[in-house]
Amino acid sequence: MTSTVPYIGQAMLRREDDYLLRGQGHFIDDLPTPMGTLHLGFVLSPHAHARIVAIDTSPALALDGVVTVLTGDDLAKHVKPIVAEIEFPGYHPHGRDVIARDKVRFVGEAVAVVVTRSPYLAQDAIELVEVEYDPLPAAAKLEGANAPDAPQVHDTIPNNTIFQGDFTTPDFEAAFSGATHVIRERFRSGRVGGVPLEPRGCLALPEHGDNLVFYSSTQVPHLARTALARFMDHPESRIRVIVPEVGGGFGTKAQIYPEEFTVAALALHFRQPVKWIQDRREELLTDIHARDHIYDMEIAFDDQGIVQALRGDITTNAGAYSTLPFGCTLETTGGARMVVGPYRITNYAYQARALATHTAPSGAYRGVAQPTCFMAIEGLMDRIARWLELDPAEVRLRNMVPTAELPWVNVVGVRYDTGSFVESLQRAMELIDYKGFRQSQPANRLVNGKYRGIGIASFTEVSGTGSPGWRARGLVRLPGFDSGLVTVEPTGMVTAYVSHAHGGQGHYTTFAQVVADALGTNFEDVTIIEGDTATTPYGTNTFASRSAVTGGGALIRAATKVQDKMRRIAAHILEAADEDIVIEAGRAHVAGVPQHGLSFMEIAETAYSMNNYTLPEGEEFGLEENDYYDPPLVTMANAAHIVQLSVDAEDGRVEIEDYAVVHDCGRLINPMIVDGQIHGGAAQGIGEALMEEFIYDDEGQLQNATLLDYLLPTAEDVPLFKVEHIQSPSIDTVGGFKGVGEGGLIGAVPAVLNAVADALAGLDININRKPLRPNLLSNLIREARRKAV
Amino acid sequence: MKPAPFAFCAPRDLAGVLDALAEHGEDGRILAGGQSLVPLMNLRLVRPEMLISINRCDDLDYLRLNDGHLVCGARVRQATAEESDLVQRECPLLAKALPYVGGQANRNRGTVCGSLAHGDPLAELAAVALALDGEMYIAAKGGGRSVPAANFFLDGLATAVGAGEMLEAVAFQRQGANERSAFLEMGNRKHGFAVAAVAVRLGMDGGHCDFARIAMLGASEAAQRIGEAEDILTASNVDETTIEAAVAAARAAVQPPSDLHADAEFRRHVLGALLGRALRQAMTGEAQ
Amino acid sequence: MSEKVEITLTVNGQKRSALAEPRMLLADFLRHELGLRGTHIGCEHGVCGACTILLDGRTARSCLHFAIAVDGAVIDTVEGMASADNLHPIQEAFHQNHALQCGYCTSGFLLTTLEFLRRNPDPDEAEIRRALTNNLCRCTGYTNIVKAVAAAAAAMRAAG
Repeated sequence: MTSTVPYIGQAMLRREDDYLLRGQGHFIDDLPTPMGTLHLGFVLSPHAHARIVAIDTSPALALDGVVTVLTGDDLAKHVKPIVAEIEFPGYHPHGRDVIARDKVRFVGEAVAVVVTRSPYLAQDAIELVEVEYDPLPAAAKLEGANAPDAPQVHDTIPNNTIFQGDFTTPDFEAAFSGATHVIRERFRSGRVGGVPLEPRGCLALPEHGDNLVFYSSTQVPHLARTALARFMDHPESRIRVIVPEVGGGFGTKAQIYPEEFTVAALALHFRQPVKWIQDRREELLTDIHARDHIYDMEIAFDDQGIVQALRGDITTNAGAYSTLPFGCTLETTGGARMVVGPYRITNYAYQARALATHTAPSGAYRGVAQPTCFMAIEGLMDRIARWLELDPAEVRLRNMVPTAELPWVNVVGVRYDTGSFVESLQRAMELIDYKGFRQSQPANRLVNGKYRGIGIASFTEVSGTGSPGWRARGLVRLPGFDSGLVTVEPTGMVTAYVSHAHGGQGHYTTFAQVVADALGTNFEDVTIIEGDTATTPYGTNTFASRSAVTGGGALIRAATKVQDKMRRIAAHILEAADEDIVIEAGRAHVAGVPQHGLSFMEIAETAYSMNNYTLPEGEEFGLEENDYYDPPLVTMANAAHIVQLSVDAEDGRVEIEDYAVVHDCGRLINPMIVDGQIHGGAAQGIGEALMEEFIYDDEGQLQNATLLDYLLPTAEDVPLFKVEHIQSPSIDTVGGFKGVGEGGLIGAVPAVLNAVADALAGLDININRKPLRPNLLSNLIREARRKAV
Repeated sequence: MKPAPFAFCAPRDLAGVLDALAEHGEDGRILAGGQSLVPLMNLRLVRPEMLISINRCDDLDYLRLNDGHLVCGARVRQATAEESDLVQRECPLLAKALPYVGGQANRNRGTVCGSLAHGDPLAELAAVALALDGEMYIAAKGGGRSVPAANFFLDGLATAVGAGEMLEAVAFQRQGANERSAFLEMGNRKHGFAVAAVAVRLGMDGGHCDFARIAMLGASEAAQRIGEAEDILTASNVDETTIEAAVAAARAAVQPPSDLHADAEFRRHVLGALLGRALRQAMTGEAQ
Repeated sequence: MSEKVEITLTVNGQKRSALAEPRMLLADFLRHELGLRGTHIGCEHGVCGACTILLDGRTARSCLHFAIAVDGAVIDTVEGMASADNLHPIQEAFHQNHALQCGYCTSGFLLTTLEFLRRNPDPDEAEIRRALTNNLCRCTGYTNIVKAVAAAAAAMRAAG
């Protein structure tokens, strides 16, 4: 029995804040750079598809301060083609030269690298490298990329189809054709990117012998280290990857990029420090893109609106190359597997494919296909409602798996252990006074020159994926587990190492809460260390909403082992039975006799043989334990987003007037940080729904590679989010935690789209694509009004 | 990106600036606030060999009334104009448009003349200059000239300012107490670059409109006045029917471009909607 | 043409000098020549606001100024806001309200808020959002930043 209040569940303020607020965070470009550091600049292809005929480096070499200029052939001596190894039937693996040789496949692909003495000089040198290209026709658009006459991105991949898969439940056709109603719809999602405020960068410092210290603005230090070792053929033991402060990742920094290999390889080759900092234009051109998806859906339902069968044909744009480490199946399999959401859909069939095009490679951006698959299924739910003249909330409630039936395994084998699909929707409806809005809503939706609507997104959210989950998606090279190492130092302070890396989520605070509780000590006495492969244990690192589940789980296990040892030592010294020892608030004492106890320091000193106490018979020295945690398949969280907004009848501008979220991520570690994740994700989702889109022309030229033309939402575009939580602790995970990092974004996209569709319901306008820019909505409104006349 | 190398000078007065301009011609560019120029330099879309700063030229820093005009020297910051009682009183349309120009950090350094001289077809101040019958004073070594705003803005990022010249000052017609004006803009997010904007200025005599100035951004390749709409409003009492007619005339007259951010038909429609709103707002004095 | 010149600025109350080419951006000068790395670069086209500092007392985008062009100016950066022991009330409000996550945009928001509250010590939510509309944040979704600015305003009014 403990009298202390657990740290888990408390809105502890962050320890990261003080140094960040003072401007003392060391981001990649803030790290001390030794004299003699070489600065790289990449010469980028202006063509989407072309043969490289010749490269003349002499004008660049003539510039004072340019050390050398290297091409793809030069780099190939140091780095093998990087390959994402995906084991999935029908997947076509293909390599990528870190600097293009022979051919370029997207605008922005590097064809040469300049090595110079300063970043400004590098920009000068880039311009002086003369590259002769033989342009080739490009397959720039997803539509038609797999047509027989489409230009091939890779010679070894027929019809640009990198991967395709399908699935069907038994007797699907019978269930489908037996249904009373069928709705078909194509949902089209425009391409977006994570666009963190801090672009990427890396700094490689060779040390004695062939040791390399590699700093990178990355989410995946261990995976990067292994990849560097494999593709550079360099002993992994002599590579150390360190993550500095990272200015946002959102999944874009969970890929391992060609530039990282180039920087590391050249540092080893020249035996000099090498640095590269990406600029914003490069970031938009070459960081992974996402969500260029087509969902062709068919939903069959009965007169009650109960779904009888669902069929999906899903096409995702992989861009020019499969990226490392996820390959290009993530978005394809993600959407295909998650589209059934919280609904009891037992007859399901899909065909899904990832196509290559001559555009920026795609990868994992927060949400990973869930924003688009829920755009589809939630859009379909609303269509069922309109068809049957039922309320959209009612249709969802009728189809949801009730909480009493959980645990439940969905049609593709994903287990929903706990959750609150019905309760979260109902509570969100109360929070935003959904019924009140519906009652006052006119049939034509028009109020003072604006169409006003309300939209719902109810969804499940993949988090905490373990190795079975990655294997199910063909990702055999992704470990799935994470690790924790917990040490009590001789002074009684606790140091906990975890195989994660932070980029704004407050790990130093949240993991300390977890360890303090698991060990029975004070929050202030716990220090978290992560993001350094030399000191932290191996793991899958940080992406896909996993750190609370896998890091939390691993730390709890490791801390529990330490606590058990401390209990044995204390029992021995205090001459009590193990089970009579209580450990809390940094002390161990005999139950009921608080004064008969030992501090953490006294126990630690005993373990380190620094006092007159002895260890129990057979007990080893030290007070340090590590453990791992590999969650089962995936950990499913859920939420409901409801958005109320207006669309201007003339100019099509959308204004969000109210926004409610009820989220269930199991056991909350720090509600304040969870809210922050939801706010941030929802803002990105609003941006994605209303204004963000990468636009390629037919020649594969990216039209908007600056922040002047790729629009991000500002404080005036985003409402005050109302967020509440339900806690349905996971029964499958250690700690009961579920992830939350992506939920905000997943829900915002479908909720905003559905709200706009609802606002325009009086005009019979079909909303099935994004972004919904003013131009698009205004055109649709005028067209509808003309038809109505 | 980082800008290409350049040489830099900061003359102490207009004469020094004009000497430098004459010497460098097309290879010289004026640096005032830099809020329009420097982004282009950082992207290496513009590469002057000599950057001529006017920031030490106290003789270019004046904002005063002169013979029925508000004259604004080249170094006057947008924020200074925005915060000026003189501007509020004499050119309220300018005061209404300024908050739309970039953000506070841009307006703190960006200059009124700099925005005009840059020639961005979507620059708010271009519409204001047209609506306030602006007169642009172009200086050069050896002699200056004055160009009416109507002839100043050319297609693309171009103005009447040629190589070796600079915009020394702009004179806005002061607005009478009986005038009504409004400035409205819309874009693809709440605050940002304009897709379309309208500046409206009506000289009212009781309920009768003596003259009208309607300037639009996004109506063509440069800021322009819409004479067809002005004609309908002039000598009217600006009632609903007249407003509708002016909106229809404007929509028929404009030839908006299509680009990444909006297509021509949308701009045509929105410009009409903005015009209607701006006229109603100007007449009632209330934001709609 | 690209000869380095000596540039002197008064930064956070101290006179600082270093050599730089004419084309060196003020942001890079502060960060790499003067070692003040709290100001960050997010775009170099003046859109994101991460590089915001005070130039002669008013906010400016340090990525849109050349150090040479502001020779002699008074600059305030985030490093000048806190004392050794205490955060500035605006910083404290950001801390209390979880108004930062990765911290990359934060110094820009702090200086924008500093200028804003000097001019408008008692703003409403719409005015706060309008004042912040030219600073981008990708992590927080702005809700907590808006709350922090309101809290800072209240704290600073109370302190008189």
